[in-house]
Amino acid sequence: MTRKKVIRIVLWVFVIGLIAAFSSIYYVFNMPRRNLAKENAVYSLEAKQLISDFKKDEASSNAKYLDKAIAVTGEIKSIRTLDNHSMVFSLEDSMEGVSCTVDSADVVVYSSKLSAVKIGSKAAFKGRCSGMLMDIQVINCVPE
Amino acid sequence: MNRLIISLAFSIIFLSAGAQNIFITKDARINFNSSTSVEDIVAESHQATTVIDIEKNVVKFSVLTTSFKFRRALMEEHFNENYMESAKFPKANFNGKITSPIDWKSDKPAVVDVKGTLTMHGISNEVSLKAQITPGKGKISASAEIKVTPEAFGIQIPSAVRDKIAKEVTIKIDADYTPFQQ
Repeated sequence: MTRKKVIRIVLWVFVIGLIAAFSSIYYVFNMPRRNLAKENAVYSLEAKQLISDFKKDEASSNAKYLDKAIAVTGEIKSIRTLDNHSMVFSLEDSMEGVSCTVDSADVVVYSSKLSAVKIGSKAAFKGRCSGMLMDIQVINCVPE
Repeated sequence: MNRLIISLAFSIIFLSAGAQNIFITKDARINFNSSTSVEDIVAESHQATTVIDIEKNVVKFSVLTTSFKFRRALMEEHFNENYMESAKFPKANFNGKITSPIDWKSDKPAVVDVKGTLTMHGISNEVSLKAQITPGKGKISASAEIKVTPEAFGIQIPSAVRDKIAKEVTIKIDADYTPFQQ
């Protein structure tokens, strides 16, 4: 092997390494958000159960549910559209129930499914549990 | 028996009158800006819950830290995992009192002083701020702004990225309250 050849190989390895490094940095920097539609629910439960768990012991419920993909089922008590075009579906109680937020992009994607959801009907949403204020909030929801 | 009924009636009147002092919204908007010339960092949540008691002039405000949306998913991850530690401290709270006089019956905007305790990342600090409040028929609008430093709340930002994040973070809130109905 000539000296020239060695240099050429080293250069190629360097360039390929650089491209790999940059593309992985680019990917991490622009990584996609969690897509709850593609995740399996860690817990599938009735909204009533989730409410009673959180009311009983908020700290241990946080430890159990926070940031997990959960599927909740319950009676729709209120439907609201926020300023940012996300929709909030309140299950079991409009003040102290489970609030499932569907992001504006998903409101478009699931528009036909969501328009079938009516106050008084039963519905299920899968999303990421973000904790309790007055209500228990489940965000990035998709209809089940 | 009569006395019982009368006292019951009074307590019902009292309770319903009590509820009229309370205004609430669960869709308050809160955003913060910690942009520098190096990086644009803004985040917003439309799901803060806030309550005003117009008799006691008390204000409460709570937001779940994971409900903030950033431009990039990576920023959300850093915010929740490295800085706010949302798994340990899922909420940020403010409990305050309006200290300057306010006429709730007026429908003109008023600027008032609010003093209270801001708790996030498990650390509480006394803060004071100005809020603009506009009472109306069956509703109240309010907006406020406050500047905080992450370090005051025990949020350590590594020196490598410190220059990318503003020293003082501006938090803005914007809420439209309606009477609380049980």
